Amino acid sequence: MSPDSQQDFALAFLSILFEGVPFILLGTLISGFIDIYLPPGIMDRFLPRNKFFAVLTAGLLGAVFPVCECAVVPVIRRLVKKGLPVSCALTYMLAAPIVNPITALSTWKAFQGQGAAMMTSSRLLLGFLIAVAVGIIVSKLSLASVLKPSLVESLEKDQAKSDHDHSGCGHDHSHDEPSEENRLVAAFRSAMKDFVDVAVYFAIGVSITALFNTGIAPGAQWLDGLAKDPTAAPAALMALAFILSLCSTSDAFIAATLDKFSWGAKLAFLTFGPMMDVKLLFLYQTVLRKRFIVLLAVGLFLAIGGISIYWQQLVFAAK
Amino acid sequence: MNPRNRRILFSLAVLVWSAVLLYFYGSGRINKYLAPDFRIISFAGGLGLAVLGLFNLFTAGQNAGGCCGDHGGGEEAHDHESGDMHPLTAVLLMIVPVVLSVAWTKDEYSVAALSRKGLYDAPSAVSSPFLASSLPALTREEIEKSHRKTPDGFLEFNLMELFFSSGDREMQGLLDGLKVETEGRWMDEKVRNPHGSRKRLYRLFVTCCAADSRAIPIILEFGKTPPELPENGWVKVAGTMRFPLEEGVIQPVLTVDRALAAEPPYEESFMRNK
Repeated sequence: MSPDSQQDFALAFLSILFEGVPFILLGTLISGFIDIYLPPGIMDRFLPRNKFFAVLTAGLLGAVFPVCECAVVPVIRRLVKKGLPVSCALTYMLAAPIVNPITALSTWKAFQGQGAAMMTSSRLLLGFLIAVAVGIIVSKLSLASVLKPSLVESLEKDQAKSDHDHSGCGHDHSHDEPSEENRLVAAFRSAMKDFVDVAVYFAIGVSITALFNTGIAPGAQWLDGLAKDPTAAPAALMALAFILSLCSTSDAFIAATLDKFSWGAKLAFLTFGPMMDVKLLFLYQTVLRKRFIVLLAVGLFLAIGGISIYWQQLVFAAK
Repeated sequence: MNPRNRRILFSLAVLVWSAVLLYFYGSGRINKYLAPDFRIISFAGGLGLAVLGLFNLFTAGQNAGGCCGDHGGGEEAHDHESGDMHPLTAVLLMIVPVVLSVAWTKDEYSVAALSRKGLYDAPSAVSSPFLASSLPALTREEIEKSHRKTPDGFLEFNLMELFFSSGDREMQGLLDGLKVETEGRWMDEKVRNPHGSRKRLYRLFVTCCAADSRAIPIILEFGKTPPELPENGWVKVAGTMRFPLEEGVIQPVLTVDRALAAEPPYEESFMRNK
């Protein structure tokens, strides 16, 4: 790498890192405390028994617990371990970065004078519908086909331990309640472990993003030529969102400046980015199987791209 | 790896990240990387990481008990702490790119990266709703009222106003022929400069962080060989604003009367909401 490239990479890398780290920390602190303080299975109590309504509710949880896509991954990993159904966890994971008040406000603000209300409501609605659709599909799949093997194994161990503890096998199951101080230490340890897990993948993702962002990586120029193509433009902006790995709370300010592109293409950018990008590709690997991630990426790309093209024709025909 | 040693290793990695965030915030260098509203969040993140790292460092050998009395410092790691990869690999992947970036960064982009970020783009190819709010008022009187005048009679404009005026015919009419002063960074003009009489003046516009920044440039016309000033250094220029059509694109061109090296402003980039 030439000295100029090193300098460009470093500026882009550090700026994205500085922007994202606080949100990852917030997510991992929440996840660490969930790990230690939230009793297993408690999330089930908050969700409807009916699978479909449970997934629908999970799609709206971001309105109550607003987290961006960096913070949501460690949180859902812990929630899965605490008994949240995987279908609900993935619905929450995909929906929360979009269906939350901070993202809604930033989108509305960024698109002032460009159909802000329509763009904001379209983004939230499409994000919610896509996340719910993924949740419903995942509810039909086995854990082993969705979660990474080590997580499945861990869940099975926890389940076996739970069955053993409460099976009435005759010996004493009374546990000494840990002290508050010990629980705090355990919570911080769990948070640090989660932070390191996520930070490793985040650092790799940001490195790749910085290489594309500054044009060091090959093939960074081709996007520009596709703006006027009604089919290729949403695909191009989804590719851009994938590469740039922007935070959902701030990506609308970038999308609003892409005035060569149609609103439908921008909608695709704003919906696909928070669900799948380079950095998430790595973060998802802390929870999901690689094969499932690839299928999820392809499915999201096709579904969001298709709906955005149709949406452009239907609602944004004036543009 | 022994759980206690792993905790110490992870704590140190977290503290390195914390130190980098706090150093950039404390030194003020973070201004070159983040928009104002993200800086304080980054500082809070640095403090949070320091608390997380120090707490775990000082309690690394403590038996935590926790949810099931199995958080001690024994050889077998409890599930709450076992990771996806070898701890040393994880720490290296965390630390190496950060350390390299801190060593490599000059807090600014090279010309190649700036070109990619719009340094040589035509103004009509770039516009933004929130940038439009910075445009001046719509009569010559209001323009004169809302801009300070230098002792030698030039109205002080920011570069963004001049840049985006070329996309608005009404503003072009009002600014065309106006004597203005502005500041920015000094760059070679690489397009439409057959006589070598032009330079380019730019500033960056940052939405959230430097990675999403865009160059906001105008053209400086000297009519002769431009003065020697440091490339990418800060300059103040004064002259007459014109909007000629060049190769089918309206360009903001400042015919320069004077150009002097200047101190960088407190906020070197234009910021969202600023």
